[in-house]
Amino acid sequence: MRNLKRTSQLFFALALLLSMVAGLGTVSAQDLKVLRVGMGAAGTTVVWDVALATDTTSHTFIEMMFPGLAPRDETTGLPQHGMAEEWEISEDGRVYTFKIKEGVPWVVYDPATDSVVEVTDEAGNVRYVTAHDFVYGALRTMDPETASNYGYLPADWVEGGNAFNEGTGAREDVKIRAVDDYTLEITSPEPAGFLLQVYGLWVFAAQPQWTIEEHGDNWTLPENYHVYGTFVLKSYEPGSRVEIIKNPFWPGTESHPIPKLDVIEAVFLDASAALAAYEAGELDTIEEVPLPDLPRLQVERPDELYIGSRDCTYYYGFNVQKPPVDNVHMRRALSAAIDRQTLVEQVLGRGELPAGFFSRPNFAASATQEEYPDLGAHSDPELARQELELYFEETGNTLETMPQLTLMYNTSEAHAIIAQAVQQMWKENLGIEVQVANQEWQTYLDLLTEDAPQIWRLGWCADYPDPHNFLGDVFYSTSGNNHTNWANDEFDSLIDEAKVMTDFEARKPLYARAEHILTWEDAAIAPIYFYTKLSMIGTHLDASPSIIGIERYDKWDILG
Amino acid sequence: MSSIDASTERVGEALPEPIRLAQETERSRGPWLDAWRRLIRNRAAIVGMVVIAAFILIAIFAPQLTNYTYAEQNYLAINTAPKWVIDLFPKMKEVGQEMGYVRVNNDYRFGTDALGRDLFTRIIYGARISLAVAFIGPLTSLLVGTIYGMVSGYVGGRTDNIMMRIVDIMYAFPTLLLIILMMAFFRASFSQSEYGTLAYQLNKIDAAFGGMLFIFIGIGITSWMDTARLARGQVLSLREKEFIEAAHSIGVSDRGIIFRHVLPNIMGPVIVRESLAIPRYISLEAFLSFIGLGVNPPTPSWGSMISEGAQAIKSYPNQAIFPALALFLIMFAFNFLGDGLRDALDPRATKV
Repeated sequence: MRNLKRTSQLFFALALLLSMVAGLGTVSAQDLKVLRVGMGAAGTTVVWDVALATDTTSHTFIEMMFPGLAPRDETTGLPQHGMAEEWEISEDGRVYTFKIKEGVPWVVYDPATDSVVEVTDEAGNVRYVTAHDFVYGALRTMDPETASNYGYLPADWVEGGNAFNEGTGAREDVKIRAVDDYTLEITSPEPAGFLLQVYGLWVFAAQPQWTIEEHGDNWTLPENYHVYGTFVLKSYEPGSRVEIIKNPFWPGTESHPIPKLDVIEAVFLDASAALAAYEAGELDTIEEVPLPDLPRLQVERPDELYIGSRDCTYYYGFNVQKPPVDNVHMRRALSAAIDRQTLVEQVLGRGELPAGFFSRPNFAASATQEEYPDLGAHSDPELARQELELYFEETGNTLETMPQLTLMYNTSEAHAIIAQAVQQMWKENLGIEVQVANQEWQTYLDLLTEDAPQIWRLGWCADYPDPHNFLGDVFYSTSGNNHTNWANDEFDSLIDEAKVMTDFEARKPLYARAEHILTWEDAAIAPIYFYTKLSMIGTHLDASPSIIGIERYDKWDILG
Repeated sequence: MSSIDASTERVGEALPEPIRLAQETERSRGPWLDAWRRLIRNRAAIVGMVVIAAFILIAIFAPQLTNYTYAEQNYLAINTAPKWVIDLFPKMKEVGQEMGYVRVNNDYRFGTDALGRDLFTRIIYGARISLAVAFIGPLTSLLVGTIYGMVSGYVGGRTDNIMMRIVDIMYAFPTLLLIILMMAFFRASFSQSEYGTLAYQLNKIDAAFGGMLFIFIGIGITSWMDTARLARGQVLSLREKEFIEAAHSIGVSDRGIIFRHVLPNIMGPVIVRESLAIPRYISLEAFLSFIGLGVNPPTPSWGSMISEGAQAIKSYPNQAIFPALALFLIMFAFNFLGDGLRDALDPRATKV
């Protein structure tokens, strides 16, 4: 008996070993192309809900899973044919008619078979993406009940949208409708040069009504998360890891070609940990390079280091309701005391440009400080001290009695270095001792929305290449992205006036004036620098690094 | 009669003139002197003491030892290292060599960090934080814990019961969690308070100490329970001893008995316990600063320096390793000294 048992055990072990070897064999035979990406900071959470996402990490995934009507090309920023095969624009420039691509099924990851399956309705028929899904998506994003920070964006550009978004108008009066299953018609309140780009954004993408209504907040769990784009969510471990797999049913469009990769595995690591994993060969690409390692990488891995443009602006915002930054002179003093030139050249040294205006200088309608040198924020310690004196005169405070200041940023090594450099500049130039504190990303975003601290850090990346996306979409008085509690009628009317003008040159002076109000007259924010993009891309990759805020990994390939 | 304590009891019993002799022995070789002799015979403890003394001197004379301040940022000397440091770490190569990337700057003894601050200056100022914690931690623990434990043990009965249940409740909180919560709470709720309020003043004091006040409060609140229990246990065993009864019988007040007779007898074990706990306080502060809840930047603490240096460890290992070395040295020194003190003050334990 005993002997027999041992033999059977041995046999079992052998069989197990064989099956494992066989298993390995099949995996390598399939030869899956897996791209391993190091993203964001450790602990980053992804907001999967298309209507609620506001950050670039979430949008990176959403852009792949919910292709818009006319998504931006990530290397040029120009709209391409996405879910809309063609479009017509009425003569007055207000009515856009999109022809939706037919035969794109909704899909979901099926854990039972470990594969992607098509979504079916109650009758067992495959659900295809229709114009109705696009109507539902846009309306859900602007619905006041969804409470999306981005709700104002579709609302602004669809007639009747603002009334609906503010809760005064009816859903039925919003002028976005499905003419038939594959024809979508959107009517804008005014014509604008960048309407197509706005309609191409994810806020106008299709959303799966049935699963959202059935599962509520849980619709973003992988088993309920119905998508139609190039990749499908397989697993998500909040704060650490995301795995998405290729959608075999995706037919391919100009903006979203059929992917060559099979799996994209994203891990959330702090920049230095990500670099260590990258250098050990555990990651194929990382989105951020730690500041101190830059000189070494420039000599050791020059072929893998990528430095390029990125349409984002780094800024410190003020909560204008909290003393002492409720006083404009205090805000101006703080803004002017930041030595932007030194910061970008000496401390960061990645080729960033100091920013005195908020919107990027490289858009057609952008006002730049080169053209308007007297406007906007300037780094000037003397001016900063004068403004501080004015603050003291106005409030009767002194350095001793003024309320204490806290500067907050989301946890990141680079933000910490910048915050400490600025802290020191404020101390040297103004004598103000500011405390710095940090929070993990999602907590930080919640804090900004609910009760923004006195001084906080954020970056803003262009959704479409127009200054309206910076000034109007972020700091218009009703914008959900405006965490300053600041509102200015003149600023709002300038934005209203400029956004409907089609002549880019004529818009510039209006935006220059608006910039000046935002960054100096009222100093609601202190713009700091214009980003550059810095990443490590393995030489075995066929990559197309992006200039827009998000990376399009679904277009990448692994060579060899 | 007040000089009747443990030692005289032990020495005096066999002698005809107990009090006079006791005074003599006190002078020549009292228990503390005995302990001291045993301590200095312990080599490791001596090394520990020397290291600690050196660090204390460094901390006191920090401004005289360096030409820089710990917050001073030199943007032209970011991430530089002197020649000897580059030679020390084979991974670091100076600019000019093949694959070289480290800029050489011999003005800074240990090099500079990502903001061009002098590492040496930050390390010696960091010693102030660690040493302050090393002394304030045990001090609060001794003060609060010993008195609390003695009162509890001496009074006994219901008071003892209630006081010890409070200790139990305090014990039920995980120390680390409690201290992290408290630090987060202090920082969040006191930092934006109105001028003139208590919270404002506390925060102002905290800011003046670079964030150490809240660390002290946090450590103080979570550290005294051990000592209280130990003190109570000692008191319970002493309470029934003859010399206490004798003191009672001649009418010495309770306070007199506690402070004159009980306290000197329990100090040995309590001091041993606290000196062994010092490395724990130091590492607790380093840990808090490492995760960003300790000192406020730019105040240097070895914990926060290691945390910042760790981000650059592949390119500039000196930024993390030097403060780590300092932390390692002082932890070892206190451990050695603690061991020595235990052997010295508790001779029974050594004979086992």
